Amino acid sequence: MSVAALGRVAVAPAAEHGASLWSDAWRRLGRNRAAVTAGVFLAVMAALTVAAPWLPGLADPTLQDLRLGAVPPSPQHWFGTDELGRDLLSRVVYGGRISMLVGLVGTLVSLVIGVTWGAVAGYAGGRVDDFMMRVVDILYALPYIFLVILLLVLFSKTLIMLFVALGLVQWLTMARIVRGQVLSLKTQTFVEAARALGAPDAAIVFRHIVPNTLGPVIVYTTLTVPAVILQEAFLSFLGLGVQPPAASWGTLVSNGSQVIALFPWLVIFPGIALSLTLLCFNFLGDGLRDALDPQDRRDVA
Amino acid sequence: MTTFILRRVLLFVPTLWAIATLTFFMVRLAPGGPFLAERDIPAAARAQLAHTYGLDQPLTAQYTRFLANAVRLDFGPSYKFPARQVREIIAEAFPVSLELGVWALLLALLVGVPIGVIAAVRQNTAADTAAMGLALAGVSIPNYVLGPTLVLGLSLSLFLFPPALWQGPESRVLPVLTLATTYVAYIARLTRAGMLEVLRQDFVRTARAKGLAERAVVMKHALKLGVLPVVSYLGPASAGVIMGSLVVEKIFAVPGLGRHLVNAAFNRDYTLVTGIVLFYAGFLMTFNLLVDIAYTRLDPRIELS
Amino acid sequence: MMPVRAWARAALLAAVALGAGCRNTGPAAAPPAAHTAALERRYFGDSSPPSDNTFRFNNGAEPEIYDPGLAVGQPDGRVCRIMFEGLTVPDPVTLAPLPGQAERWESTPDGLTYTFHLRRGLAWTDGAPVTAGDFAWSWLRVLRPATAARYASMLYPIANAEAYNNGTLADSTQVGIRAPDDSTLVVRLSHPTPYFVFMTEFYTYLPVPRRVIERYGSQWTRPGNIVSNGPFSLVEWRQADHFTFVKSRTYWDAANVRLDKVIAYSVEDLNTSVNLYKAGAIHWTTSGYVPSQFIPYLMQFEDFQHGRYHGVYFYSVNVTRKPLDNPWVRRALNYAIDRDAIANDLLKRTRDPWGNMTPIPYAGYEHPPGLTYDPVRARECLARAGFPDGRGFPKVAILFNTSEDHRRLAEAIQAMWKQVLHIDVELSNQEWGSYLEATTTLHYDIARRSWIGDYLDPTTFLGLGVSNDGNNRTGWSNPRYDALLHAAAAEPDPVKRMRTLRDAEALLLDEGPFIPVYHYTINDLVKPYVRGIQPTALDTHDLKFVWIDHGFRRNAPAVATAGNQGQ
Repeated sequence: MSVAALGRVAVAPAAEHGASLWSDAWRRLGRNRAAVTAGVFLAVMAALTVAAPWLPGLADPTLQDLRLGAVPPSPQHWFGTDELGRDLLSRVVYGGRISMLVGLVGTLVSLVIGVTWGAVAGYAGGRVDDFMMRVVDILYALPYIFLVILLLVLFSKTLIMLFVALGLVQWLTMARIVRGQVLSLKTQTFVEAARALGAPDAAIVFRHIVPNTLGPVIVYTTLTVPAVILQEAFLSFLGLGVQPPAASWGTLVSNGSQVIALFPWLVIFPGIALSLTLLCFNFLGDGLRDALDPQDRRDVA
Repeated sequence: MTTFILRRVLLFVPTLWAIATLTFFMVRLAPGGPFLAERDIPAAARAQLAHTYGLDQPLTAQYTRFLANAVRLDFGPSYKFPARQVREIIAEAFPVSLELGVWALLLALLVGVPIGVIAAVRQNTAADTAAMGLALAGVSIPNYVLGPTLVLGLSLSLFLFPPALWQGPESRVLPVLTLATTYVAYIARLTRAGMLEVLRQDFVRTARAKGLAERAVVMKHALKLGVLPVVSYLGPASAGVIMGSLVVEKIFAVPGLGRHLVNAAFNRDYTLVTGIVLFYAGFLMTFNLLVDIAYTRLDPRIELS
Repeated sequence: MMPVRAWARAALLAAVALGAGCRNTGPAAAPPAAHTAALERRYFGDSSPPSDNTFRFNNGAEPEIYDPGLAVGQPDGRVCRIMFEGLTVPDPVTLAPLPGQAERWESTPDGLTYTFHLRRGLAWTDGAPVTAGDFAWSWLRVLRPATAARYASMLYPIANAEAYNNGTLADSTQVGIRAPDDSTLVVRLSHPTPYFVFMTEFYTYLPVPRRVIERYGSQWTRPGNIVSNGPFSLVEWRQADHFTFVKSRTYWDAANVRLDKVIAYSVEDLNTSVNLYKAGAIHWTTSGYVPSQFIPYLMQFEDFQHGRYHGVYFYSVNVTRKPLDNPWVRRALNYAIDRDAIANDLLKRTRDPWGNMTPIPYAGYEHPPGLTYDPVRARECLARAGFPDGRGFPKVAILFNTSEDHRRLAEAIQAMWKQVLHIDVELSNQEWGSYLEATTTLHYDIARRSWIGDYLDPTTFLGLGVSNDGNNRTGWSNPRYDALLHAAAAEPDPVKRMRTLRDAEALLLDEGPFIPVYHYTINDLVKPYVRGIQPTALDTHDLKFVWIDHGFRRNAPAVATAGNQGQ
């Protein structure tokens, strides 16, 4: 293929190959082995936690054995037991249900709100930007504990409330990061070009600018997942989130950290589950970023 | 630029007012109050306390009095520690949090940015994976696990550092390390992401084509833009760090501001909560303004209208 | 390994020398030398005594206010007692009142009037003499409504004190406190109170310097302003960090005070407290600052002290809610709890199972039979209440403030009630402020609570059951119970009085809204070279009896009493 043709592909991808940004990205993602492995692993973990009640051989996570107390990993209890004699492996598996759900949904919510808010503010600039960013400042400054306590007072303790409480703050820094990126990108030539072509503002923002911010956005999103999972443990402390005897990875880690000198396995195993999940999200995120990178189009036929 | 700065500084006033008002009403709406305790107080004492703190007046009167005092930076005595003024508590706790936070951020930047740059430049190699893996460990291990682990290892087993308290330079090490690790992860990841974006851009290709050494390309041209997401992140992160991390302060018994805020919230110490929140808000907005100014320095194409 | 460690230490020492200036020598611990390693294993952590006579300990949460008349919690009280001394001081073991500022006292046969004689030569730290007038003024100040003292009720045994404090009596001269001369204090009580002299140890009864308060107002407690009369005086205070006290030269018994300096830290976190102790940075963790899960492990060490603490952990039942208003339901709930299993298996014997609402035996008081574990009887009671085999029993919730310990206990009890009674209860945790609101406004079904007694008499616990008492918080009201307590208050014969109180407790246990679970215990870590600290029922200690035995490895560990504290 001639050099000139190569250049044309870089500017106007859609027409040439009939592949939109997304389906093309999907194909490229499939070629990224690390991302695929991570995705499969996550799917398996999610399936395991969902299927927990029907898994053969998995102990009842609420069954206490006071006389046994906390014992280290053994053939009867692969992950050991907690102070009430409950099997830790089963608590980690059941705990994954809430944590993975919380991690995913909480992060998605913060992603959507944060990106939209930040992109609009950055693109609009001027007074709109000032106002929108001041709203972010205000929400940031307000004491989170009271926001949650008031939520609990005004509404009942449901799963939706949990997501609301989680979503309240996570999107703020995301918005700020996106705004920064957009400020930088909106002065670039491709934006001028799109404007010259008559594209409406919304399209410019969401079809052209946002995809170019995806790098830092995806990275921050993958970092948000463990933060959200751990934040749920803090909410549990306030009375929202999982209530005993149920547990989540966050509460398991948080409670285990109190006795880390005595029973380290109580932190290690849920901690590993958390770290593995984070690692998978990261590889997946990296893969996504590479796949969606509009400038990285190397595989042209 | 000057008009921009002026406009932003003027915006401090309505924003702080909004935060002050919202906080004032929020803390009073929360169930419980400053004088509830496990042990009942005699009715006379309760009445007298309500009178001293003005709680027996209508809410609007309390609010106006609060605003009038807040403007003069007088938040009154703490409810929980009636012999101390909120102003004093903040003045004594803040330098501690500041010191802890500054060290942690400096360390995080000194370690995180280079890691991120190296990872970006050597993308998808072993160095990249190793660097990112380390950074990720920092984010998935919460402070309340890392802190005690460091104490167990470096303090109680190896006797290198004291296990807690804020006395002497050796006592700074473990709290700063614990606090910094989370930030290292974010900073390293964001730097890498930012650098990756930048290194693909036209002007970088131009610089390379012009024959500039790779190092100069990276350090002089790409880095300034590559750290943009880190700078965005640093705005609220700096304010947050300086406010003090509750967990680190609790584990290491550091007399900082973070502990005070959380305890005040649980104790319904209205004045202390409001004072600290406003103090924090002031910092936050100042940092965000500085971040915006930094944008223009780093990326000359950005104009803040 | 060794060379790295040595290098690290050298580098640190250099850094310390350069940077620190004259910081105090507390925190960095030294690894034990090889030849004492065997000895060290008997003790938890570093057991080498400090080179000086400075006693360091963890006082726990930051004191809210350490003005003795206004002080509220244990941390406040401890700080007050270090600086101020009352008419009497507690014996290091029995807490019996020993002469403090008063050298002797007597009471009239009807038990209504007490006369205290102050020592000669008592002085405040600014040199002025301590007089009976100081005590009178201080106590009246606590009772004055404008002072808003939260512990004013401690002085209510005094005639007309309660009336003056709640505003019904305006004339303070009618309150039963008189100081006929500088060294005599005469107190008239409203009813015979056998434990009154004991009360004078309490921090609300400590004297405060009038002229200093009048001069500095609320700032009088600052180091530099403060004037005190106790064994130590305050020289430094860093909020949320530490207090520093030095031996007071004007204290009447200064010759027998063997510590030069006392440093009280305000470390909230339990794990941190234990770590500091292990490193030797503090010499004593006060009770409650050792995580309960550590206690079984710590019990093997000689420097771990264990004893009974004057408190009961119980569940409060809101009798204004159905079906908890039915005493048969309450009895069922009580009999279905296996307290032994909780104390021995769940709590690993760190606490004692307890089925009474009054704790450790009081002199002359015989506890009524406590509640026991009787699943058969429990089921009968529940059936009698109209819920045979738990059928139809509505969902109730156990409320507790968020804490690992409360959670585990609630889960265990939830499981017990399910297993024995076949009822389902939910668990609900709230943060502290919301929890307090819920319990004081009766917005709960069953709530976890604790009560720590202030003085060694059953009434400090039995008072919880009185109708409309602010600390009742259950809505339970029983005129017969109230009558019994009134009768006991007026009873001059101590034997009869104790019997009446016993009847009251029996009634409380049978019909009452409380479900006792366990008896609190003292769990302290005290370095082997610290003498003078033993577990006491109220966890109070007078630091004047404490000293550091630098030669402790040669001397046998001694139990310090007031008698041999100088040896």
